[in-house]
Amino acid sequence: MSFFAPFCIPFLVGAAAMFAVLAWKWGSWLWCLPRTDKRLILRGLPTRATLEAVGEVVGESLLHRRIFRINPLLGYMHMSLAFGWFLLIAVGWIETMACLGLHWVPIQGHVFFRYFSTGLPHVAAFDFLMDLLLLFVLSGVALAWGKRFFSRRMGMRRTTKHVPGDRVALTALWFIFPARLAAESITCALYGGGGFLTGSIGAWLGAHVPEFGLMNAESVAWWFYSSCLGLFFVAMPFSRYMHIFTEIPLIFLRRYGLRSGEKATSYDEFQVEACSRCGICIDPCQLQSVLRVDDVQSVYFLRDRRYGMLRREVADNCLMCGRCAEKCPVGIDLNTLRLNARDGLRNVPDERRYDYFKGLDRSSGEGKVGYFAGCMTLLTPRTLSAMETIFAAAGEQVWWADREGGVCCGRPLKLAGETDSARRMMRYNTELFRKHGITTLVTSCPICLKVFREDYALDGIEVLHHSEYMLRLLRSGRLALRRGATRFTYHDPCELGRGSGIYDAPRAVIEAVGELLEPEHTRENALCCGSSVANTAITDGQQVRIARSVAGELEATGAEVVVTACPLCKKALGRGTAAAVRDLAEVVAAELK
Amino acid sequence: MKMEKMKKKRVIVIGGGAAGMQTALRLARRGIEPVIVEKEAELGGKLRGWYVLFPTFTPASEVLNELRRRVHECGIETVLSAQVTGIAPRSVELADGRRIDGDAVVVATGFSLFDASVKEEYGYGIYDNVYTSVDIERMLGEGRVAKADGSRPKRIAFLHCVGSRDEKVCQQHCSRVCCITGVKQAMEMKRLFPDADVFNFYMDIRMFGPGYEEMYREAQQQYNVHFVRGRISEASPMLDGRIQIKAEDTLTGRPLRMSVDMLVLLVGMRANDDNAALAAGAGLRQSPSGFLAARDHFLGSVRSEVEGIYYAGTVTAPKNIGETLNEAAAAADAVAEALGA
Repeated sequence: MSFFAPFCIPFLVGAAAMFAVLAWKWGSWLWCLPRTDKRLILRGLPTRATLEAVGEVVGESLLHRRIFRINPLLGYMHMSLAFGWFLLIAVGWIETMACLGLHWVPIQGHVFFRYFSTGLPHVAAFDFLMDLLLLFVLSGVALAWGKRFFSRRMGMRRTTKHVPGDRVALTALWFIFPARLAAESITCALYGGGGFLTGSIGAWLGAHVPEFGLMNAESVAWWFYSSCLGLFFVAMPFSRYMHIFTEIPLIFLRRYGLRSGEKATSYDEFQVEACSRCGICIDPCQLQSVLRVDDVQSVYFLRDRRYGMLRREVADNCLMCGRCAEKCPVGIDLNTLRLNARDGLRNVPDERRYDYFKGLDRSSGEGKVGYFAGCMTLLTPRTLSAMETIFAAAGEQVWWADREGGVCCGRPLKLAGETDSARRMMRYNTELFRKHGITTLVTSCPICLKVFREDYALDGIEVLHHSEYMLRLLRSGRLALRRGATRFTYHDPCELGRGSGIYDAPRAVIEAVGELLEPEHTRENALCCGSSVANTAITDGQQVRIARSVAGELEATGAEVVVTACPLCKKALGRGTAAAVRDLAEVVAAELK
Repeated sequence: MKMEKMKKKRVIVIGGGAAGMQTALRLARRGIEPVIVEKEAELGGKLRGWYVLFPTFTPASEVLNELRRRVHECGIETVLSAQVTGIAPRSVELADGRRIDGDAVVVATGFSLFDASVKEEYGYGIYDNVYTSVDIERMLGEGRVAKADGSRPKRIAFLHCVGSRDEKVCQQHCSRVCCITGVKQAMEMKRLFPDADVFNFYMDIRMFGPGYEEMYREAQQQYNVHFVRGRISEASPMLDGRIQIKAEDTLTGRPLRMSVDMLVLLVGMRANDDNAALAAGAGLRQSPSGFLAARDHFLGSVRSEVEGIYYAGTVTAPKNIGETLNEAAAAADAVAEALGA
């Protein structure tokens, strides 16, 4: 039995090109990985991580469970296309084997089996099953068409603006399955067989169209189907659909412990090309919802980075609040990719700028507990004096790292992409902390907290946010508070909540002094105050507009006092409302017994 | 027809400060019956809080008392403790539900002072010995300028542009009069405490009025007041109650730290918070700074976009008292002309 017809050529050429490009891309990325990453992969291969990765591939690449959580219809659309297509291939394979036994059949024999199998006896069960699967995929295609016009129904206010290459691939993809339906139906019209879908359409065509017309149409339809496949395969590695295959190695590598860092590596390529440009990241972005800035969101940032056309204006225009990363169905580490792109664009360390660090020590006091105010707390001295009151009330001996001024924690510079300069600050502060022999480091600034925990090597020193520290004092009875009837609402700072996973400690502290009312967006979904140090592109006026929108939501709770636990958020929200905005420490210091 | 001509036109003046009183006086002189609506319990506005006026050191009470005397003498009707909540071309609504009718409205609601505690980094309201220029006027008026502990200051720093030309607090505009206020108060401090060192930290010194530049020169030459170009970035308290300030002398390019006995913040003029609501209700236009926008900068500077509503004084932009009084007269003339009186 021959498995070749001239119409197979577009498909074969397309598939060959796709696999060649894929092999080249993945091969070179893996080859260029840092040695430590390669070692992680080798160590991880024979462990449970591999099995877990397989499970995640099924759950995410095929079933798209995370998208289901965002919107069931959107999830179904993605699942029907991915899982449906996968099943068509897999069941098709089984069908050929069932019909021909364990023979070697070339790939086009599997893909175009209905064309080649006209002489074989039909298996009704397979006819039915394959038609059912085709219908499943077609329902996804129909939804994809519908999404163009009714995106809101599928939980998306805004969808991605696509580049021309994506449109070519998208169009090819949309036509693949209708073309398959047409081709198989016509073949059924001529030779019989087929299930409830192709068989029925074929019978109708056979009854209404002359055989000569059907024979011509059959040839055209299979050519068209093969061409759609070929075109899609050629376009795929260069379009958003690269994500279909790239998400799979990404899941494995992530399970083996690979992470993006402040310097770009080839692991980033897996992340960047695993983006499907689904656009789910657009709606959560406050630059979009408040300021109507619509070309900087993660989807566009990754696209620009991937095609080598990333500009500073796009890379810098991000609050790095992490609201999009929270929603990303592929789980791409969007903030870190943004950060190391900035590093590539502007890391030009000034060797002499920080010479003044040498011998500098303005710290005061002595104690095992160190307090690091950070630049922003020094600019919001109510928080600082509240901390003084609290330390005194708890009888804590405190070493004040920077009350008389000190060196920045380094995170603002790091976020700006000046990672080497940031490292110098980190080294300076690390040495300072070590020199004074502290065992606990308390900071009232979540920006400092995050960098202390993630980038400083502070073994033996416990780093605490002041919310955690105050809660500890309360629980151990070293602080006693008056609980009144004041109604508070709490604004989650991005660096504390999504950034460091601290949601409960500040809430527990507030509940010790009064009633806590939650705003509409809270915890993982909390809004950003808008004045993030990570964004160097928007103006003060734009920051204030974001602050107003956030403050509006906080005021809507009916609370008398807005509490936050970040000096920057406090300043930012204060600009957006006439209501009282307080740091957690101020609230505690005011209610000390 | 004849009766109507006989009947006096009535004009509502919102605000009983320098602008409002002067407008009313001028209207009365042109045969119009003004009614002043004032939110406080007495006339005078911000003028009540000032000690002496630049550049002549004229006591503010001289100007204030004279204006009040004339208002009283002309028998001008005043509605005190009345907050205006809505403006229309021929009437105003009050917070208590009352409505006052007239033939035209002059808005002379003035400005608000910038709340220095918003700039938390300067420690106003947190540390002792941080004052605003308004506090200093009050202390001068009360005749006891001293540190919080009652002792004499040996070093005083004035900081210009607190709440002016500062995007961080959404106040992009220049308040104009703070520069000269800083110079005036520095000279007063030197008169009170000749041995003290007095510093002015500034971005630019804007001496726009007649006699101002001369006064600035005099402060440096006769009074030995020091002027440092550079803003203070933050202030922190010291154990002995003094304030440590961090700044940069941008002329020498050097950062500096200094401990001072008193830090005085020259607070700017801010648009009133209720401008937005009043403007929205009456169809008036606000400029980006939040002040109400006059029809144009030249021939329509006391007219609003709405026929029958006029402006006088600092409701449209920061002005000094002389300019305010002149503008009030111009506004009254424009109203009188429009009403054919």
